[in-house]
Amino acid sequence: MTRSDAAPKARGGVGYGMDLEAPGMLWAALVRAPVPHGRIVRMELGPARRMPGVVAVVGPDEIRTLLPKGALEAERPVFPLDEIRYRGEPIAAVAAETLEQARHAAAAVVPVVESLRTDARIEDVFPEWPSAAAAKDPRVVGHVHARHGDVEARFRSADLVHSETYHTSGVHQVALEPHACLGEARGGKFRVRTSTQTPFGLREDLASILGIFESSLVVEGTWVGGGFGGKGAAFLEPYALLLAVASRRPVKLSVTYAEEFELGRTTLPSIIRLDTAVRGGKIVGRRVRLLLDTGASLPGRDFAVGYSIGFLLGPYRTETYEIEGFAVQTNKPPFGPHRAPFAPQSVFALESHIDGLARRLGVDPIEFRLRQVWREGDRTAYDQPVGPFGLEAGLKAAARTAGAWRTRLPAGHGIGVACGFWSTSVGAGGEARLSLRPDGLVILQGEREIGNGSVVHGLAVVAERVLGLSLAAIRVDYGDTATAPFDSGVFGSRTLGALGQAVERGARSLVTILAKRVGASEIHLEIKSGQVLVVAGRRRHKLVDLLTPTERAEGGLVVEGKFYGPEREVDASRVLAGSVYPYQDFTGAVHLAEVEVDRETGHLRVVRYAAFQDVGTAVDPSAVQGQVEGGVVMGLGAALSEEMLWTPEARLANPGLLDYRLPRLRDVPPIHVELIEGFAGAGPFGAKGVGEPPIIPVPAAVANAVADATGTRVFEMPLTPERVARALKLL
Amino acid sequence: MSENSLGLSLNGKPRHFEKVPDAERLLDTIRWRAGLKGTKEGCRTGDCGACMVLVNGEPTLSCLVLSREVAEEKITTIEGLSTEKVGRLVIAAFEEAGAVQCGYCTPGFVVALAAQLGGRGPPPPLETLLDGLEGNLCRCTGYLAIQKAVAAAREAI
Ligand code: FES
Ligand code: FES
Repeated sequence: MTRSDAAPKARGGVGYGMDLEAPGMLWAALVRAPVPHGRIVRMELGPARRMPGVVAVVGPDEIRTLLPKGALEAERPVFPLDEIRYRGEPIAAVAAETLEQARHAAAAVVPVVESLRTDARIEDVFPEWPSAAAAKDPRVVGHVHARHGDVEARFRSADLVHSETYHTSGVHQVALEPHACLGEARGGKFRVRTSTQTPFGLREDLASILGIFESSLVVEGTWVGGGFGGKGAAFLEPYALLLAVASRRPVKLSVTYAEEFELGRTTLPSIIRLDTAVRGGKIVGRRVRLLLDTGASLPGRDFAVGYSIGFLLGPYRTETYEIEGFAVQTNKPPFGPHRAPFAPQSVFALESHIDGLARRLGVDPIEFRLRQVWREGDRTAYDQPVGPFGLEAGLKAAARTAGAWRTRLPAGHGIGVACGFWSTSVGAGGEARLSLRPDGLVILQGEREIGNGSVVHGLAVVAERVLGLSLAAIRVDYGDTATAPFDSGVFGSRTLGALGQAVERGARSLVTILAKRVGASEIHLEIKSGQVLVVAGRRRHKLVDLLTPTERAEGGLVVEGKFYGPEREVDASRVLAGSVYPYQDFTGAVHLAEVEVDRETGHLRVVRYAAFQDVGTAVDPSAVQGQVEGGVVMGLGAALSEEMLWTPEARLANPGLLDYRLPRLRDVPPIHVELIEGFAGAGPFGAKGVGEPPIIPVPAAVANAVADATGTRVFEMPLTPERVARALKLL
Repeated sequence: MSENSLGLSLNGKPRHFEKVPDAERLLDTIRWRAGLKGTKEGCRTGDCGACMVLVNGEPTLSCLVLSREVAEEKITTIEGLSTEKVGRLVIAAFEEAGAVQCGYCTPGFVVALAAQLGGRGPPPPLETLLDGLEGNLCRCTGYLAIQKAVAAAREAI
């Protein structure tokens, strides 16, 4: 099944945020903070205003003079009103006739700042592991603590306690398309076109930042040149819109890759401590402690740690546990979601730990996991019911492949296994509008395709399956937040699984309505000579003949499908903040990596790779395969080379692709993808979300392969040659 | 900053632009003056390949070239290439192989591959073709579908 957007994209024929343009448009540039933490003593904007081509310059004062009062009360105002919280934070913005002029003028704004103490790293805030009392430190912006069962007793009576500490690094999404938007403002009405995964969520976010009603603002999504979580919350839009108010002209704002890196909203470093008690070869108690760098995030970030810590317990039966996590504010840019937010990092620590434990016990790592892995009917540590879950099947399939690989494993090579789970998100639910017209079906959505195919292709395939109408006669169309029905957006691997259910319901109601009109119990649709036909047994009706005069005038039969998620029974007292966002099913992924370790340089080569992905039902297997391959390769980047490096002064040392190394075509090993079906999800036809799971186990699988090859564990990711060499005591 | 008029041969047509800064990059002239936005802007530092165009048939990163430097040369963008046989073939191969996800990298890949397949005589070996794509980044596909597309395009030529 080829995707309808593939050829237009390949011809360069679709418009992304970077391509936005409007008559009379100005170009914008940002003035960015020269220190990581401080106060602005004075900032003269006058000289920049007088520079050639400059039409507007806005700073903190213009929030007060140009926007409603609410804009000053926003949790995070357009520009910081009190403190600069990270180096490069936007503190003013310029709009000019050309981009050059805007950048020149932005560079000419030189604020006088008073520097404050910088916390560049978690260790600057907490040189020692913090006690529970540290939760009162103003730099702790999230804290979760929970326990279940008599943990102490289990640890006391254990045969073995396995204790380790892991460190993970900052990783950037690096969508190929930088952020870009075009803002317009006229008579108190705002409109922004932008490269976003979540038009409706963005509208809400922007309305609160600008102090306006959501009804005064329209967000229109463009095609998105990759999102990976980085194109959700407000980013450049507030600056473009404030400049549009000031200049009364449309304003285009995009950023360079260097700015993209320095503005962040990425995965940040963490320190993870794991203690596991084992008795009779089984895990009986877990202690999990997490320090998560959340950068310049504001208080109330409990969800960030709550959510991350869930992955640290893993897809294993956990009788007793104690978990504690701190979200630590530092002077880095704020933490943000990145494809399966923080899961690859958590899983790197957990699955390395489990693997080491299995080896210590002399048990095969896959066999050890099989002893404790969730099965249908289990409940998670947080008391969530586990439905059909393909991880056990995945582990068994992986065991066969690993066995085959091991029969001819060259010296210096090792095989690692790791597994991960994901829960398909419902988000805040969503709706789809289906218009069945005489010549085909149109599905109207607010969000555009971000790349994985779930919107442009997945939703169409769901309608195709329900209606029997061929894909060629189904089109996904895009509206803005004023014309399209609400949906939460593309994130959490939810599009097909959750929004797909809205489409499925809409399509089913079309079937019901039409069946009634032709007096049949079952119908399907066909397209013939450009005409939609309703087929009931041997009878065929032209759709156009079945429409009411009003429907004919409106162009077709219009229905809305809605899906706001399943009801769940969960013991609320065991639910951590953010750890159980509305989810509808669990999916599992098991990965195998074979690596070759250069014992002189510490250099790793991933020789081959296999991914066993629980997909529920693959609605389009080739599309799923593409998601798995893409996720694995992105995970290999995080495993081997991708790392944002900050200096002790909280300066990002590698804000560009030269020193932040992404996987390239020749780096990619052969990847064997096996889809595990038969463990139905809640999505259409039993589908589960698969956008995020494939990235999750990768760093752990690679690390475990290194341990297998060398007998040495690396406790930090990414596994750069230097870190591996140090672990092997070569340095 | 001095500005002058500039003539370019774009996709076989002579184009003329007024008041072009001498330091303007070919990428910006193509996108914002000629309005040909199929050429994508990514890193602007020569590291991603999204901005690839052909200069006299040679794959060239348009973010690293000043428009003035290539005023005498023949420039082909994805818009021009997709009307040619080799371009159409490569695009079809990408479509069939499922090698297009967000698509932001795709025009650059198509240009880089078509440049290698566009010559007379038999196509270069597959490995050579793949080496020729080392400068093109893709963040979505993991490159395996792209490798399939390359093999298929090579067969089809
Ligand atoms: S934009 Fe030219 S190589 Fe990236
Ligand atoms: S398809 Fe998105 S970067 Fe290649």
